[in-house]
Amino acid sequence: MRQLPWLTLLIFWPLLAALVLPALRGNPAACRRFALLAALGELALSLLAVCLFAGPVPDLPVIEDWEWIPTLGIRYSLSMDGLSLIFVVLTSLIGLCCTLASRHDDARRPALYYGLILASLATVQGIFLASDLFLFALFWEAQLIPVFFLIGIFGHGERMRVAFKFFLFSATGGLLMFLAVVALGILAANGPDGPTFALDTLVNLDLPVTVGRWLFAAFVLSFAIKIPLVPVHMWLPDAHTEAPTAGSLILAGLLLKTGGYALIRFGLPLFPEAAHYFAPLLTTLGIIGLFYASAVALAQEDVKRLVAYSSIGHMGLAVAAIVSGSRLALGGAVILMVSHALASGGLFALAGGIGERLGSRRFDILGGLWNKAPRFGAAFLFCILASAALPGLSGFVGEAMIVFGLFTTSSWVGGLAVAGMAVTLVYLLRLARDVLFGPARSPLPFADLDTRETALLCVLAVCMLLLGLFPGPVLALADGPLRLIAAHVWPAATPGL
Amino acid sequence: MTTLLALMLLFPLAGAIVQAALSRSLSRPASGAVAALAIAGSLAAAVAAVWNLGVAPHQLSFGQWMAFDGFSAQFSILYNRLAGLMAVTVTFVALLIHLYSAVYMREDKSFARYFCYLNLFVFFMLVIALADDLVFLFMGWEGVGFCSFALIGFWHEELPNVDAGRKAFLMTRVGDLGYVAALALVIAASGSASLSGLTAGIDTMPTATATLIGFLFLFAACGKSAQLPLSSWLPDAMAGPTPVSALIHAATMVTAGVYLLMRLEPLLSIAPDVGAAAAVIGAATALYGAACAMGQRDVKRILAYSTISQVGYMFLAAGCGDVSGAFFHLQAHAFFKSLLFMVAGIMIQAFHEEHDIFRMGARLRRAMPGLFILFACGAAALSALPLTSGYFSKGRTLADAVAHPGPAYLLAFILGIVAAFLTALYVFRLFFVAFFADPADPAKLVSEPELSRMERPLWPLAALALVYGFVNPPEFMGLKPWLDAYLAGTVTPVPPEVEHAELFVEILDAGLALAGLGLAWLLYRPALRPVAAPAGVFTTGLGLDAFYRTRIAAPYQRLSVHLWRGLDEDVLDGAASGAGAGIAGLSRFVARFGSARPSTTITTLLGAVAALLTWLALRLT
Repeated sequence: MRQLPWLTLLIFWPLLAALVLPALRGNPAACRRFALLAALGELALSLLAVCLFAGPVPDLPVIEDWEWIPTLGIRYSLSMDGLSLIFVVLTSLIGLCCTLASRHDDARRPALYYGLILASLATVQGIFLASDLFLFALFWEAQLIPVFFLIGIFGHGERMRVAFKFFLFSATGGLLMFLAVVALGILAANGPDGPTFALDTLVNLDLPVTVGRWLFAAFVLSFAIKIPLVPVHMWLPDAHTEAPTAGSLILAGLLLKTGGYALIRFGLPLFPEAAHYFAPLLTTLGIIGLFYASAVALAQEDVKRLVAYSSIGHMGLAVAAIVSGSRLALGGAVILMVSHALASGGLFALAGGIGERLGSRRFDILGGLWNKAPRFGAAFLFCILASAALPGLSGFVGEAMIVFGLFTTSSWVGGLAVAGMAVTLVYLLRLARDVLFGPARSPLPFADLDTRETALLCVLAVCMLLLGLFPGPVLALADGPLRLIAAHVWPAATPGL
Repeated sequence: MTTLLALMLLFPLAGAIVQAALSRSLSRPASGAVAALAIAGSLAAAVAAVWNLGVAPHQLSFGQWMAFDGFSAQFSILYNRLAGLMAVTVTFVALLIHLYSAVYMREDKSFARYFCYLNLFVFFMLVIALADDLVFLFMGWEGVGFCSFALIGFWHEELPNVDAGRKAFLMTRVGDLGYVAALALVIAASGSASLSGLTAGIDTMPTATATLIGFLFLFAACGKSAQLPLSSWLPDAMAGPTPVSALIHAATMVTAGVYLLMRLEPLLSIAPDVGAAAAVIGAATALYGAACAMGQRDVKRILAYSTISQVGYMFLAAGCGDVSGAFFHLQAHAFFKSLLFMVAGIMIQAFHEEHDIFRMGARLRRAMPGLFILFACGAAALSALPLTSGYFSKGRTLADAVAHPGPAYLLAFILGIVAAFLTALYVFRLFFVAFFADPADPAKLVSEPELSRMERPLWPLAALALVYGFVNPPEFMGLKPWLDAYLAGTVTPVPPEVEHAELFVEILDAGLALAGLGLAWLLYRPALRPVAAPAGVFTTGLGLDAFYRTRIAAPYQRLSVHLWRGLDEDVLDGAASGAGAGIAGLSRFVARFGSARPSTTITTLLGAVAALLTWLALRLT
């Protein structure tokens, strides 16, 4: 059982499904059913991987390694440790949510729509599994393509402008990172191991300090754009606002997480010296991002835009935690990212529902939705509370670990992170107030969640509760890989608290 | 024991889940009955657990919550006599309030949502009462904050109610920042934060650290208990249904801050500065609340300020390190204040949602004599008329302050004494105006049989308000102080100085209460046809709320708009599109050199050759 190429299957199963979809293009219902089955299959695959490799007899990391371009030392090598596994499962889960998210956006060209969703799942799984730097860069660039078309074709409003904005922002960063990858390959080619792009080898590469810093800057710029870190976040609010619901789910749930994941997996271990050097800068930007995005979110007039800014704030906190040098905060950042994917995924799905029902998501036509649609209201409030880090829900576990970890390294940063919990609540309560409560400002009817939407939100809510109350298994998965990374990057730091 | 504690917690939680899951199919009576049964089950478990409870605390854990890299948090319980009594008090008052609510909410559509939140609240409150791990306690702490938000804004069609709930949630969250920071400090030192762990490690903790942690917890307690400077959310919290005000904003949640300080007693005992600060804050708040209550006309707002004021006395006692005294006042207050709130609820419904006491008057007394007696019991206890529960419990807190040496405690005592006089004054102002006056502009009195049905659950509270003081009478009366004796092994025993001071304080307190009663009669007796004074500084709570609104909330809102429109859209987005436009312009400029016209092409070619030759020439020379 364990010998099958599971990782390859995880990546290429959705892609394969995407390629089959055009055959069904005349029949929207069949497209939906097929995409749903494909996403369920992907989820089943990833759960199977959990059972096989992280079950009672754990066997992590799983490695698949084949030669690809031998002259350049490029290999097709995938590796899945606990950290990857968390994000792989998250990706399949969000993928399932994407196929359930909307029966409105997919009306025009269902085959293309679901094909793009599945293709983006494949590329994201690739990012989480690649352990060859060249392969990683390839997936990193490839993930832009489906999302670009998803926004450009199926978006709302000025979708082409926004899609280009998204693409140019990401491609600029990606290009620099690609150059840095090539540079690393050249530097490694002169080294003792010959030409190679293997992460495990490259982390031990002895780089001159300045070179390391420049390359780190190139990598981090690319990650920062994707995360997104203030001040290179400008693409995100626009992209979220105009993207179809599934696009928003992919953006918030997956693309942003690839940035954080890549920072942990590649950015830090490849350039430990530069990571130390730039840590104060990244911490500052992250904390500024937390407060800045929270303040800006309060003033928003569109539900999706508000949630988009909340993503920037949460991810800013995650970045500050990742570079802090505390393992506890690092683990918290992982949980926070997962939790954020679930909570903001739920909020985006519901915001998409608002747009479909009322034709607009502006606050001035909302209000009073609780009375019109109690199930919708309960789900919306639940996601808001998970975002607001109410203990018992997933957000709290991440934020608590981050705060407690940050306090061990710097009480200033820790104090600011604590204060962030208050400014976060300010805009989240405003969101609840203006959407759910008060008099209804639109005379249009507002149907409550139907079975499909209820199922989607229930899945997300159960995950948020489980992660909030029993984060143990997830933390255990993340523990080993993060321990290795932290030992490599911060060898001087004392283990444990 | 484990089973009983688990049942105590699970009953209300299960009740909440049932209400949420079956919200559509439950009928109104069934919904109320299920909710009340859940609380009754919890009360039974609480009583059974505290029955024959020894002095030794029980420590147990329902499992691990999170563990990572040396940090761990457990679902753990520290069950001792203090926690046991707190759990009984909470569930007992909650049960009566549930019974009352079943009638009170008789016309409301969303009864299932109401009882769901109410049950959930009891669950979280019990978590606060029982938790050992401070992270687990924080779950209850934030959970009650959320329930309070949801119930204040229960009638959410009207935005002012929602805003009041939002204010409560935000202000208590600001206090909670202190809690999280304190947790972080404790965890950074030892990897986990629990009450038992803190107590065990108290000998090795430096005073400076203990003081810092203590102040942070005190800040959190001030937020939850609506003490200065975080008090201004409580008066607005009255926007919620009245039983909610009775349960959450009088009897239980607002006392959670004091309860936290009681549970942290070992920490406070090595950080005397924190205790002194708590005492002074408490006494100052007691005076502030009493003075502001004088300026109100809304019966619920009077009681809200009165709650702020009475919780201040609990802070005073807790700051003096007298846990059993603080707990005594907490219980007495829970009984008489929830009684008063529920009476106020009936008064308001009797006048068809009229809150203004200056539109009530003697007709109410004549129409509902039972209600009048209930109110009189509560008022007597709140104003500390001799031999009522409030008399003994408040006297005890003042005696604590007298017995403590130091100018801070002297100041606290003086503030507390003045507040005690004002308390009697505002209570009897309310009493005479609402039940004796003959208003010029009376509200319409309605008579419904349900109103008297709501009185029934209140009689036990009225009895307790009158006689509960004899559970812990002062030493000079020669009766057995049962509560002190019961808690003797659990908390620091009462120092003898307090007992010596009690005689003096009780006499003074009785005099002040009677003087307040007399002055109130002089000022507000029906013959004078009292009218409300025009709104003044006390009506608005000394402008504290306005200060937060205009100095913090409004500037933050302006800042947020400014950041968005000014910085985010103009500068950052502008820079991005500017860069894009710049590159496009450059590309057009460059494109001009390569156009299809022969003259341009030749010019470009010659120019390039010239540049190349110049460069070569420079290189060669």
